[in-house]
Amino acid sequence: MSSDMNELDEESFIPSSLLDSDDEADELPQDWSHIAKLSKGQVVVPKRGEKDYEPDGTNAQELLLHKAKTVMFDSLSDASRGSVVKNLIKAYYVPDLHKACVPHPKGSFMHTMGKVDRDGACWLSFFEFVYLAERGTIAPYYKRKESEDHALDPFLGIQDLYMLFKSQKESDEFAVYAHLKRLGFIVMQSLQNSAEVGSVGQFEDSAVQKLRLKFCQTFESLSKSISNPFTLPFYHPLQYHLTRYCTSAQIYESLNKLIPYAAAPKTLGELQKDLRMENVSAGIWKFSFDVWKPQSNFRKKTPGLPDFQVVVFNKNSHKENFPTYHEMRGLLKMLNCKMDFLNAPANEQAKSAETEANKGATKKKSKANKKYPPHIEQQRRIKRGYRSFVLATMDDGLVSFIRITETDFGSENVWFKPNNVPLRKEKSGPKASKHSEEAKASK
Amino acid sequence: MPKHVPNAKRYKYPLPIHPLDQLPELKLYNPVSWVYWLYCYTFSTNQLPSKIHAEFTHGKHLTIARPDDMRYLWENGFFGTAQLSRSEPTWRKRTMARLGLSEGSTALEHITEKRRIERLRFKQERSQFEAIKLDMRQRGVAEDHILAEERAFLKSLREKEKVLEEEGEVHLREVDEELFGPNEQLIDIEVLELMPVEGIFLTFALPVLEMNVKTLLANLAGDEPTYADIHELCLKYVAYHHYRSHGWCARSGIKFGCDYLLYRRGPPFQHAEYGVKVLEACKPFDTTLFTGAARVLSGARKPFILCYVELQKPESEVLESWRQGRLDKVFRSYKVGEVSYRRWVPGKNRD
Repeated sequence: MSSDMNELDEESFIPSSLLDSDDEADELPQDWSHIAKLSKGQVVVPKRGEKDYEPDGTNAQELLLHKAKTVMFDSLSDASRGSVVKNLIKAYYVPDLHKACVPHPKGSFMHTMGKVDRDGACWLSFFEFVYLAERGTIAPYYKRKESEDHALDPFLGIQDLYMLFKSQKESDEFAVYAHLKRLGFIVMQSLQNSAEVGSVGQFEDSAVQKLRLKFCQTFESLSKSISNPFTLPFYHPLQYHLTRYCTSAQIYESLNKLIPYAAAPKTLGELQKDLRMENVSAGIWKFSFDVWKPQSNFRKKTPGLPDFQVVVFNKNSHKENFPTYHEMRGLLKMLNCKMDFLNAPANEQAKSAETEANKGATKKKSKANKKYPPHIEQQRRIKRGYRSFVLATMDDGLVSFIRITETDFGSENVWFKPNNVPLRKEKSGPKASKHSEEAKASK
Repeated sequence: MPKHVPNAKRYKYPLPIHPLDQLPELKLYNPVSWVYWLYCYTFSTNQLPSKIHAEFTHGKHLTIARPDDMRYLWENGFFGTAQLSRSEPTWRKRTMARLGLSEGSTALEHITEKRRIERLRFKQERSQFEAIKLDMRQRGVAEDHILAEERAFLKSLREKEKVLEEEGEVHLREVDEELFGPNEQLIDIEVLELMPVEGIFLTFALPVLEMNVKTLLANLAGDEPTYADIHELCLKYVAYHHYRSHGWCARSGIKFGCDYLLYRRGPPFQHAEYGVKVLEACKPFDTTLFTGAARVLSGARKPFILCYVELQKPESEVLESWRQGRLDKVFRSYKVGEVSYRRWVPGKNRD
């Protein structure tokens, strides 16, 4: 297997999905002609063509535009919409709790939203309430007083609902929430408070540990300085008269000791250590939402770790700036979601065992998870990074998402090693590899 | 010089300091070989036979003028940018080819130029056709007919493209005559310019340039700098050294609105893989800075890395070390941390 791999070019090892899949192309604009088919009276649907550069004095462009617009408006106005009164689910907003209550809940939204209390009423968080009302799933009412009688409670319009937002932040968060919900994600508000309690607890019992750690660190640095007292500092002018380097790798190795770097935690153990280690705070930042990918077997009570965690950030607000590095680190530390890099190697082993057992059935899987040569594996590792969170940026009502991922260039060395390249390259530079082998032997 | 040197041979060494790879074979059973090996080992050195001469022109541009040195720095680690070329010093070669003094070159600049001319020609043809199209529209010709015409036009263009041949005429302009010296030799007017960080790397980290560290620093930051004067330079250098020393070939990222581009081996081998922006760890930045750079880099399909550099010691201590010329102490006081910045498209993360 490895020999025929060597014949291939380096680039061909990287699956195209890895090459920055997020940036590849934007989603297509909504094509109303699809919806238009559902509404009555539409026969010919004009296709969207290429844009022309400038107005040319004729009405060809305007005609096309007019046609497209008509399709859009027709499909909105002609389609039969609305809800059946009998099926209407009423939800009552309780101002004191900033929540809404659905006395007689039904429908599939219960799958991922709301909390059912002892009396069988479903309590929706404010975001859930507004979102469902926007979709027409529930009919929103304003609960005026503590009584069972709802006869006098006023019906709320969408605009009324928006007036109930308590702050700009909340409305920003709602925009992000609704956007992700509409795309099918399962979104829950992050329980940041409980997480904070957890970390505080950790810090309390870590006082002793901290001391021990500090001791270990000083000891380590001491032992380091003792272990090599005879080597001159690399940057000394006389250095090249005394030392000889037999490979480029040796030169690199003495160069890369200079700059300290923050190594990303890569295993569970390192993650826990990182949690205890530095005391960075995320400042004002906290995760607003836990997001799960769309899935049918989701359970509200035992949701498991979320796939992503989202921070909401308003670009136009004077109070907020793009998070600084320290704040990012604080956020990464608070992170409590699935981390792909943790189980990547373990998974691979399991998968390979599985493929041994039934080769035919899991052929596709094994292809996706196939073992790469070390330098490609490294390439993938650097590109993928480690812990990450999603930063939802609100800019004048437009939401865009940015994924901030911790990366680690310091732990990887990428200098060219002549003897582990594919065969084809070795052929073109046989001298290089031969020499380096000799050099190794001479060590 | 042979006509074609394979890249793997031409760019064999990733750094201008070469390892000792010419040592004789060491045979365990043959003690004479030990002695010979030891002899060779003691009397060979990693240092360059003669260091490269660099000087400051116009007070602040660190340049290298000798053609051999220029080539050496380019071939061993891809340092510097030639002032009249894209990056590799090719001006002389290109000019010779242009003036018909040598055979045609395949320098990158030539390929780009050819492509630009082709594109220009295409645009001219297209605008001509646009005029015809407008005319047809005004005369009320049916859209179907126009579309068919357009198709025919595009087809004819493609055929023209195939025929398109390079014309090999030599145009000698009047100014070109000034390029020749007294004995009809083409004067090489191109110099290689080093970034300040490259200058530091090639004097402080690797003894390659003839210039001593003190003069270099004095030229870059002044004789009596304050911390504010050296701050930016230190950040940039720390990041540069970090990537260089882990094997990346870091070059200026100004084309893509960032500080460095990281190549795995070097520009002739692959496209740059990452774009790096060097930032201060504790300072807040405007969002536009990030979105702008990310936009440009993602257009070139390069991941965007934010490299945060943090000072871990008091500024006065760093400044003191700088004044003493202890650059290793200066750069050791910083710490590097990285995150990658990437647009997240919800629709592509649903699976």
